[in-house]
Amino acid sequence: MDISVTVNGETRTRSVEARRTLADFLRDDLDLTGTHVGCEHGVCGACTVLVDGRAVRSCLMLAVQAAGREVTTVEGLAPDGALGPLQQAMADSHSFQCGFCTPGFVMQATAFLTDHPDAGEREIREALSGNICRCTGYQSIIDGVLLAAQRSRQA
Amino acid sequence: MAQIAAQRYTGASVKRSEDPRILTGGGRYVDDIKLPGMLHAAFVRSPLAHGRVLAVDASAARALTGVVAVYTGADLAEMTIPGQDPLFAMMASGGPAPEYTLLATDKVRFVGDPVAIVVAESRYLAEDGCELVEVDYADLPPVASAATALDAGSPPLFANLDDNIIGPHTRTEYGDVAGTFKNADRVEEFHIDIHRHQNVPMEGRGIVASHDPETGIMTVHAATQSVHVTRLGIAMRLGMDAAKVRVLAGDIGGSFGLKIGASREEIAVAAASRALGRPVKWTEDRGENLAASGHAREESFDVRAAVSEDGDLLGLDVRMVIDIGAYPVMGTMVPGIVQAMMPGPYKMAALGFESTAVATNKASYVAYRGPWASETFVRERILDLLARDLGLDPLEIRLRNVAPRTDPPLMMVTGRPLVGVTTKESLERVAQLIDIPAFRRRQAQAREQGRYLGIGLATFIEGAPGPRSPGGPGEGPMGIEHMRLWLSEDGILTLYTGQMPHGQSHQTTLAQIAADEFGVPFEQVRVVVGDSDAVPFGLTGGSRSATMTGGVALHGARQLKGKVLDAAAQLIEASAADLEIVDGQVQVVGDPDTAIPVGEVARQAAAGRLGDDVGTRLEVQAQFDGGEGGWSGGTHCAIVEVDVETGIVTVERYVAAEDCGALINPAVVEGQIRGGIAQGIGAVLLERSAYDADGNYQSATFMDYLLPTACEIPRFEIEHLETVPTDADVNFRGVGEGGMIVAPPTVVNAIEDALSPFGVRIYEQHLPPARILELIEEANAG
Amino acid sequence: MKLPSVEYEAPATVAEAVGLLAEHQDEASVLAGGQSLIPLLALRLARPAVLVDINGVAELSGISQANGSQANGSQANGSLAIGATTREYMAEESAQVAQAVPLLAAALPLIGHEAIRNRGTIGGSLAHADPAAELPAVARALDAEFVVRSAAETRVIAAADWFEGYLATARRPDELLTEVRFPMAPPGTGAAFEEVARRHGDFAIVGLAAQLTLNDGVISDARLAFSGVADVPVRARDAEDLLKGQRPSSELFAEAARAATAAIDPPADLHGSSEYRKKVAAALVRRGLKAATGNAQGTGNAHERQHS
Repeated sequence: MDISVTVNGETRTRSVEARRTLADFLRDDLDLTGTHVGCEHGVCGACTVLVDGRAVRSCLMLAVQAAGREVTTVEGLAPDGALGPLQQAMADSHSFQCGFCTPGFVMQATAFLTDHPDAGEREIREALSGNICRCTGYQSIIDGVLLAAQRSRQA
Repeated sequence: MAQIAAQRYTGASVKRSEDPRILTGGGRYVDDIKLPGMLHAAFVRSPLAHGRVLAVDASAARALTGVVAVYTGADLAEMTIPGQDPLFAMMASGGPAPEYTLLATDKVRFVGDPVAIVVAESRYLAEDGCELVEVDYADLPPVASAATALDAGSPPLFANLDDNIIGPHTRTEYGDVAGTFKNADRVEEFHIDIHRHQNVPMEGRGIVASHDPETGIMTVHAATQSVHVTRLGIAMRLGMDAAKVRVLAGDIGGSFGLKIGASREEIAVAAASRALGRPVKWTEDRGENLAASGHAREESFDVRAAVSEDGDLLGLDVRMVIDIGAYPVMGTMVPGIVQAMMPGPYKMAALGFESTAVATNKASYVAYRGPWASETFVRERILDLLARDLGLDPLEIRLRNVAPRTDPPLMMVTGRPLVGVTTKESLERVAQLIDIPAFRRRQAQAREQGRYLGIGLATFIEGAPGPRSPGGPGEGPMGIEHMRLWLSEDGILTLYTGQMPHGQSHQTTLAQIAADEFGVPFEQVRVVVGDSDAVPFGLTGGSRSATMTGGVALHGARQLKGKVLDAAAQLIEASAADLEIVDGQVQVVGDPDTAIPVGEVARQAAAGRLGDDVGTRLEVQAQFDGGEGGWSGGTHCAIVEVDVETGIVTVERYVAAEDCGALINPAVVEGQIRGGIAQGIGAVLLERSAYDADGNYQSATFMDYLLPTACEIPRFEIEHLETVPTDADVNFRGVGEGGMIVAPPTVVNAIEDALSPFGVRIYEQHLPPARILELIEEANAG
Repeated sequence: MKLPSVEYEAPATVAEAVGLLAEHQDEASVLAGGQSLIPLLALRLARPAVLVDINGVAELSGISQANGSQANGSQANGSLAIGATTREYMAEESAQVAQAVPLLAAALPLIGHEAIRNRGTIGGSLAHADPAAELPAVARALDAEFVVRSAAETRVIAAADWFEGYLATARRPDELLTEVRFPMAPPGTGAAFEEVARRHGDFAIVGLAAQLTLNDGVISDARLAFSGVADVPVRARDAEDLLKGQRPSSELFAEAARAATAAIDPPADLHGSSEYRKKVAAALVRRGLKAATGNAQGTGNAHERQHS
């Protein structure tokens, strides 16, 4: 099937099989390899992207279902190469180690902070509990999100 | 920009060089590699725990459009050299070596055992192809437990062995074991089980192999802890000259011991690429990762403890059985380390240790963060059980038995000096941080309201790298670490290391050390990893890099600095002894007017203007043997609440007093500690690689193998003792494994304390909610 | 772990959708939010020939109030009709749901995680009928009604008849679930969804949908349904009968817990034995009734949960 998807502000047209997941479409057809695939059955959250502004798991959505929609991937958060405010706060907090879960956390936290700029630690932990990190024990990630929220309130 | 504390990068939480790329999607993991003409592989895997392979019919798969090739186990046996798992072969520990083929041919030996590889134009098509490969199996009785494997009548997994005993049965005695037990006030006996669980990096294994038929060069993009070990493994099993195998690695999505060298699947992919003359990619999916990448820890212990009425632990007599799963990789090497570490930081004067390793129809035993960790679990669990029986507090029994720091240091009964070990200090520090008497009051009040709180303590030491042993071999505690250091004409100091970071932040920490020692800004240091043609031999693992690689970076930078100063002496017309490098400029000490950029020195050398002694390239090959080495260690303490109606355990507070010497980068150190503790908490409360009685794997999805999330892991309080170094320069030690080693006994001890009103005694490591309620019921029943 | 080859249809109307179902019958799978179906495809445990994707059927999404006149018994107060493809987050954010169907509002935040609820649909979860899921227990507790349409007819199926077995419902292959009607809670009603899960956001080992209506301090209506104790959500009728006409007390709730768990025989799995599930179920009844009472009295916390 031929589909057109707006990805990070740019309309991309490709022909895909119906069974192709949005994650594979982004990674293999568009070479946007920042979106990672960690379990392919909807548990780990590594493949989280924004579709029409809401966080979704791109392994649980078909590429054909994204036709006509706006998809934002981690590459779309800092198109000029600089870090966005959340990414900067995460770097400042040493949030991550191996980096594999990172894009999923960044996207989920981006969506969450947009709606909950005043969130506290407990809410952030719950909001990110669908994303699995095997390296950090989470504290540094939570601290990064808290720092970003604090900076956005001061800004 | 890096922040400098006290004019030094070392010791400061310098921002990670790795972060800009990983936070923007710019990381390059093996599955991100895309080569022209690249094909995709998937494996046909055994649905049976134990079975005979009667026939493999790949004709329908080969006929599927998009499938390029199918190689069965028999095909691959023709395409490769017979042999053992490369890691097992490299670290051969003696004992019987089973004979088996790269992929299964005559038999399958666990659920997930690879039987054939399908190579196709896409992974989707490769998986379609796998479904069309028809394998005719005949069931064999599964050997699904160590107990079955120990039975001489159990069906042998391997035709060349008479039974399923793989590791040689050994017994070693240190000190006067018989006398100690004979004279002890009491001897207590325990059976302790450690359950099977596994690494589960967020990125599974993976490889892109690309064999160039014209040059005969095999280029491999790998997810590995060592490009060189992978290179040797592939060369070994493909019958290639190792010089014709180049292994590259980019970012790696975690490993925790799993990705050492070349696994069976990865070798098969390389063989397929060679046969096809095209690049072939295999990305392990989560189902494969959980079922077939390897598991760890399934061990059991029968322990006798000799104690005095006062609570002196006089000696242990330990019998260990380790279930190494189907194929020997790492399992047979573990008991020796468990044995050496069994005394921990304690004074015990006698140890008897015997071990048996058995093969079973389960996934192979692989290294997982602190592979020998069961010694700490067994020892710290027993100390609490003994304390209860003797009416002692868990803190008291530990303080009583811990080895004091003496000069010369006390020796572990197994032979290594406890030099610089601060277990006692860490126990005292944790007790201060927690205020145990105040907790006991709160615990008593909570119990009156039907709430069950508990506190648990545990200590550990980790040979990271371990001490230099008197009378030991001339090499240091962990062999030799190599590094090449080069100052280029743009003033960049480049470090080539065989370390293969997969989350450890080496590109930051090694640059911190080298920048300080050499005298350039942090941003002017580049750390090159992941190319077997460019970096020296090395391996990231065993918590070795802080001391070994940090040390070689420091000594190498010092060596190269000497060379640069010698060269600069010709340009500045001063004695090298009067020169310094400050902020990337060579100058007469204290005289910025004389400064020239280090890059200028390199340029002059490259132009051949500095003579033959300097040469044209400012480069050194450095080595480090670990110096005096030393131990890492510490004490952890958890406070938990157990919901006795549901069995749910909540970790309310977790405090650690750690000692890894000087911190290179405190944020990196604490990240390692926290991550390890989280894995330990996961092991106790959530994670189990479960098989049923017939050897069917039960945990092949993330809905069954449960990793902890941000809601199950508490905030951690970590203190550092930073003990006086044994080496004035290289005073940092490893922290990669301690958290994972000590968290399980810490949490289990806390749970037992919480359940003490019920009389619960715990002899196992995995305590899911259902098991908590069973323990209460069993204790009530008597 | 890649999906098998499959045909794909994306109808724009219910009529088109049921036409496709009539054509393909049990060769077709209806794709709504996909949060359960796509994993089954990825694991190659589901092998439909055709996916009928109803996400583009605008008329299937939305929340509206139906008056009580056409309804019988449980729907006497009127009901909230929720279109099958209404996403879980929409219902979670709906003030109408919070006000009219507090039990549903209590259960929604417990479904998976935010990213799941952003795609997952009310109808999808109920048509998938996983007995461990929250919404089936809510529907069963409240006697929700399921509206299904085929090319030939529209049927309304009671919750008691909807859940037929593990992942099995009364929907025929040519029918499409279009709407679920949840009875609106009468005044004095408090609800709670209690569950014990291994981790935050997991399918519960056992869950309990609990709703009490108090009239002058006396329980006039009680509704209890378990998830995770059988192949379908299980209503605890004996306990409900025992509660009605009584004043709330911990002794009463303990008695209700015994009654509610006397008849259940939960399955065992990796996460808990049958006996364990029974014990947890009893604890959840005690806790759920306490929380629901608090909410009915306006003193509780509707989102209380066991494991957080």
